[in-house]
Amino acid sequence: DDDVQIRQKAAEIDPREAAEFDRELRALMQESLESRKSDLRARPTLNMMIPMNVFDGSRDPRAADGESGEETVDEDGGNLGGNKVRVKVLVKRGNKQQTRQMFIPGDCSLVQSTRQKEAEELEE
Amino acid sequence: DEGSYEHGGKGDFIEHACRYCGVANPACVVRCNMPSCRKWFCNSRGNTSGSHIVNHLVRAKHKEVCLHKDSPLGETILECYNCGCRNVFLLGFISAKTESVVVLLCREPCLSNNALKDMNWDLSQWCPLIDDRCFLQWLVKIPSEQEQLRARQISAQQINRVEELWKMNPDATLEDLEKPGVDDEPQPVVLKYEDAYQYQNVFAPLVKLEADYDKMMKESQSKDNLTIRWDIGLNKKRIAYFVFPKEDNELRLVPGDELRLRYSGDAAHPAWQSVGHVIKLTAQEEVALELRANQGVPVDLNHGFSVDFVWKSTSFDRMQGAMKTFAVDETSVSGYIYHHLLGHEVESQIVRNALPRRFGAPGLPELNASQVFAVKSVLQKPISLIQGPPGTGKTVTSAAIVYHMAKQGQGQVLVCAPSNVAVDQLSEKISSTGLKVVRLCAKSREAVSSPVEHLTLHYQVRHLDTSEKSELHKLQLLKDEQGELSSSDEKKYKSLKRATEREILQSADVICCTCVGAGDPRLSNFRFRQVLIDESTQSTEPECLIPLVLGVKQVVLVGDHCQLGPVIMCKKAARAGLAQSLFERLVLLGLKPIRLQVQYRMHPSLSEFPSNSFYEGTLQNGVTINERQSTGIDFPWPVPNRPMFFYVQMGQEEISASGTSYLNRTEAANVEKIVTTFLRSGVVPSQIGVITPYEGQRAYIVNYMSRNGALRQQLYKEIEVASVDSFQGREKDYIILSCVRSNEHQGIGFLNDPRRLNVALTRARYGIVILGNPKVLSKQPLWNSLLTHYKEHECLVEGPLNNLKQSMVQFQKPKKIYS
Ligand SMILES: [Zn+2]
Ligand SMILES: [Zn+2]
Ligand SMILES: [Zn+2]
Repeated sequence: DDDVQIRQKAAEIDPREAAEFDRELRALMQESLESRKSDLRARPTLNMMIPMNVFDGSRDPRAADGESGEETVDEDGGNLGGNKVRVKVLVKRGNKQQTRQMFIPGDCSLVQSTRQKEAEELEE
Repeated sequence: DEGSYEHGGKGDFIEHACRYCGVANPACVVRCNMPSCRKWFCNSRGNTSGSHIVNHLVRAKHKEVCLHKDSPLGETILECYNCGCRNVFLLGFISAKTESVVVLLCREPCLSNNALKDMNWDLSQWCPLIDDRCFLQWLVKIPSEQEQLRARQISAQQINRVEELWKMNPDATLEDLEKPGVDDEPQPVVLKYEDAYQYQNVFAPLVKLEADYDKMMKESQSKDNLTIRWDIGLNKKRIAYFVFPKEDNELRLVPGDELRLRYSGDAAHPAWQSVGHVIKLTAQEEVALELRANQGVPVDLNHGFSVDFVWKSTSFDRMQGAMKTFAVDETSVSGYIYHHLLGHEVESQIVRNALPRRFGAPGLPELNASQVFAVKSVLQKPISLIQGPPGTGKTVTSAAIVYHMAKQGQGQVLVCAPSNVAVDQLSEKISSTGLKVVRLCAKSREAVSSPVEHLTLHYQVRHLDTSEKSELHKLQLLKDEQGELSSSDEKKYKSLKRATEREILQSADVICCTCVGAGDPRLSNFRFRQVLIDESTQSTEPECLIPLVLGVKQVVLVGDHCQLGPVIMCKKAARAGLAQSLFERLVLLGLKPIRLQVQYRMHPSLSEFPSNSFYEGTLQNGVTINERQSTGIDFPWPVPNRPMFFYVQMGQEEISASGTSYLNRTEAANVEKIVTTFLRSGVVPSQIGVITPYEGQRAYIVNYMSRNGALRQQLYKEIEVASVDSFQGREKDYIILSCVRSNEHQGIGFLNDPRRLNVALTRARYGIVILGNPKVLSKQPLWNSLLTHYKEHECLVEGPLNNLKQSMVQFQKPKKIYS
């Protein structure tokens, strides 16, 4: 009797509830934005250099894993479909920069310019 | 990996399980990074329109998250790569132009920094972290269908309820929702009580509810990463200056609040913390915190400090204490007052005191007829209510009453009000009659500057000039210089100080303090037969009780129940009736307030509507049109002798701060134009007040004027823009009222309260401009009659300020009133 049939419940979303949630979410976004815009204190200086080691041999997005100084997690157990693009996510830990690899769907606008570049480079 | 969510729906044993549904797959969950929260939530939508984590962040107004250590990115707090901003509602990814490298960047200000383009970053494809009410699925995965089916099926309604519960008790679980009692409404207040025990049984839980709410609100206001500027005060104490950013909280700091400043330590500095009192708030929202101890303060550091609110239960403890005293101590109040307060039928009593020949007092302006009547009747009755409509001189009347009471030889008179500002004003007036007044301040407010400094107990202790006090002064000087005393000296200092305080208090004719201040231990051995409470309609019943239970035989409550009442933060307590003042209940019990009837504030055109709508037309004008003519001020009033108009606005309202506030850009822009016109015509900034019921609009107007004002920025900064509530008890020459609400399908919220409208309309002395949408406002009966009043006087106008035209806008039929 462990064999339970679960009927897929159609998610019932109360439209009023959803509208109210949407309103609160938008308010939070807008308020966050306003609070930053109205912040007349000093604007942060740019601190966005890409560390040199990221460039090392990474032109080819299919470059081998395990470069020095990087931690990689191969998510999806190597089940890397053609529709995913590998990117390096740059984060700061204190003042140290670190990169981690991630896979982003190929149709994500974020990687489109990179894809274009690759295509151009391949053609060359 | 399977094991991590094998426990199925409950997730009781796994710390990182979604607190809503129990899903515990590390790739699917994130932790809320709010220090008081730190709960985990998953990225599935379940039965709601947003994912669980987004639901939580929105409902709890939390804004930072951290990824799980076993997620692809490892344990990472999501923050802007450039500036470190952690507000997830502002974050999104950008990629490098030539590399497959991405970083998180905040939308404001970093994304709008064009210099980034030159640095190989592609800003055109900023990809928000939260999209379609869900975190980016490739960053925080959505649990599989299988996982979701085995998870707890939580509804949106349950989410809302558990979030409410967490505000009071962060460790509550969903099971707690089913427990009885959590959602129970407390017993409401009634008109009459059997005895003081029943009274205590009703009010004690309400005070507790409000105290718990206040504690929760204040303690959730920790701030990190503060930058400190150090200074030293005149008393040699360290002062830390910093900006305390207030975001979507309802609370604002006030002088006297206690904060704890912390530094977590680094290689060169040990961890440090110290408690201090807020002594000042600058116009730039900078806080001045006077630290209690000078030792070990890391004054060589300026960055990386944190601050927490130190909640104190003092005021609530004193209310509970007063109710207890009222119940158990027969001498706490006279028998007559005891029964009257509880609503029992009592034979009316007359106080047999010789009446003075004239009812005015030295140093005060002559009293008018209704003021004389008030003084005279109050002196003959054990309990009386005085209603003082705006500008009717209730402070002068109160001071005259106190003067005569003090002259009756019944002992010292206790004078209280809920707010420090009101106590200061009244102390000054009473002192000008020649009576010896001592203003008792809370210890935490001794460093806060006061307009009646010379009357305060702490000032008098320091400046008492007799030879036997020289020992105390010596020790005081030593303490000031060194910051502290040896323990034997400290002991001596304390006992000398106590003795001196007692001596000064005993020699006073009148002691003035806040209602809560009347519970100060320094007054515990004092008895007061005669008590006057000003602004009593702004205090709760238990607050009002604190000054009464010190032996009262004759009490005067001054206030105006047609203006705003006490502020209760906890909705449950407010619903149960904690927001009703003792003054109001006594009115309901049939005690008729004595009304002061001549107003000396408003231009007669401005007092007409409030008098008719709130005071049955009884308000008379003590000022003439000539006395309120703004000569030399060239302002486009549509009717020359009527310095008022309703300026028709059709701009849209928008939701602002935290979803509970609103703003209206068109109105804000027009407020700036009106302010500029006033300033150009020679009005100075301190004469102008801008009132708006919404914090969202307040912040927006301040910002808008300082950025877009046509004149010098400084002029606009000096103009007070505040809520209706914070203008209560005060006046300005010119008032601009921005109503904000403009949505035909929703109510008008705050403005629906007639008492708030009364306060808003009665602050101006010379002129008033109201900006609002008549189509929306006219649905409410009171606003409808206000609009009709303006229209009948040809003061309902539209168009550009330099070419105002009568507006033909149609009003809506008002909804029926039920009250
Ligand atoms: Zn949280
Ligand atoms: Zn969940
Ligand atoms: Zn940033």
